[in-house]
Amino acid sequence: MDAMRILMDEHQSLAAIIHAIRHMIGEIGAGRLQPDHKLLEAMVHYLDAYPEKRHHPKEDEFLFGPLRARTHDADAALDRLEAEHADAEARIAVLEAAVKAYAQDPAGAFEAFKTAFNDYAAFYRTHMMTEEREVLPLIRKHFSAEDWERANAGFIADDPLSGTRATARAGEEDFAQIFSKLVAAAPAPIGLGAGPYKAD
Amino acid sequence: MTQQTQAAASNANAPSNAGARNPVLEVKDLSVSYGKVEALTNASLTVGEGQIVTVIGPNGAGKTTMLSAIMGVLGSKGRVAFDGTLEVVPEVERMVARGMNLVPEKRELFGEMSVEDNLILGAFQRYRMGKRDHAQTLEEVYALFPRLKERRDQHAGTMSGGERQMLAVGRALMAKPKLLMLDEPSLGLAPLIVREIFRIISELRRRGVSILLVEQNARAALQVADYAYVLETGQIAMQGPAHALADDPRVIEAYLGFGGKHQAMLST
Repeated sequence: MDAMRILMDEHQSLAAIIHAIRHMIGEIGAGRLQPDHKLLEAMVHYLDAYPEKRHHPKEDEFLFGPLRARTHDADAALDRLEAEHADAEARIAVLEAAVKAYAQDPAGAFEAFKTAFNDYAAFYRTHMMTEEREVLPLIRKHFSAEDWERANAGFIADDPLSGTRATARAGEEDFAQIFSKLVAAAPAPIGLGAGPYKAD
Repeated sequence: MTQQTQAAASNANAPSNAGARNPVLEVKDLSVSYGKVEALTNASLTVGEGQIVTVIGPNGAGKTTMLSAIMGVLGSKGRVAFDGTLEVVPEVERMVARGMNLVPEKRELFGEMSVEDNLILGAFQRYRMGKRDHAQTLEEVYALFPRLKERRDQHAGTMSGGERQMLAVGRALMAKPKLLMLDEPSLGLAPLIVREIFRIISELRRRGVSILLVEQNARAALQVADYAYVLETGQIAMQGPAHALADDPRVIEAYLGFGGKHQAMLST
């Protein structure tokens, strides 16, 4: 199913960014890497903008909403996920403030940034686990052919990393291009080592 | 098991990639033995024009053996038809000349040569056949991999793992292959680079390149592929459209299980 494929693809991209930040924090903490603050800020921005603008709205509209209409088995999990989607802005704001503070005070704010990041990563892990372990099996079980058709069309119409909307619309961020820039700028071995990151 | 894969799995060795139009590669009953040990048994598969077909399976299942036999690196029994012509005994040089190209697991670059020289070597066979379009192809490869252009004068041996993988794929593309075979392109690479490599693989399909992708990273492979085969202990155990296999409980449990790759990324 295209909707499932794109959803999992997006989860992997988000997980890859989180993995990269975790790696860099570990290397910075061990004194083996000089921080690239612009890269860290760009990665945190990606975690903010991509799920908020593209990922969560598709989940809510094309998967969670129709699932509610089909069964009450998922209500508890969906209540939790939708509440988390609604709180996402406040949650990421904490991390954004921490990464900015770290850029202004590298010595004094590193630990606070590390803690904020670990909190965010732990939250996101639980969030994705709930989706993939609890909700997706119920979607597979209860969705009708019409539900799948609509979900697939909705996800295909907005497949920011590899699909039909790889080119950004006017005023939108081009997430495929941003992702490639992050990969290029991230230090080896997690990226191509072409940094420091240069914002447009 | 889904209906689609159940039907396919009951006839696992039939080359039933029915959606494949204009097959570029048709393999039938391919077997390879290392002495008395049979590493590949009657494996059959089809790659259609412009398709990404993946072969997933655990380490030691025979995936690399299969690619090597198709390419003619290893002796085999069975039939390999490439671009409409039956190859009774595939031979590497002839397969390359006919447009088959393999990016091996170990990349096999020339470390003492520059990035650009490695790329140009990829066009050698075409050059020998009188096709002198390598300068234009080089620009196409650089457009796909801007990082290679930035490092064109660098020795290949000094590059990072991700850059080396990009160079290996870029070198293969210099031959303008009809069929690109990728052996574990994600092996040893960090998740961020793996995502980028698979994005590029998708882009190659959009450009019309037919791809046979061998991968242990089943999650990533099934996301980009059109059709998939599961190879276990030298035999095709399952096959079906990639999205159907990705939804199959047996595949999910064995290869995609939660707590798999991207969850590990989040927690380690």
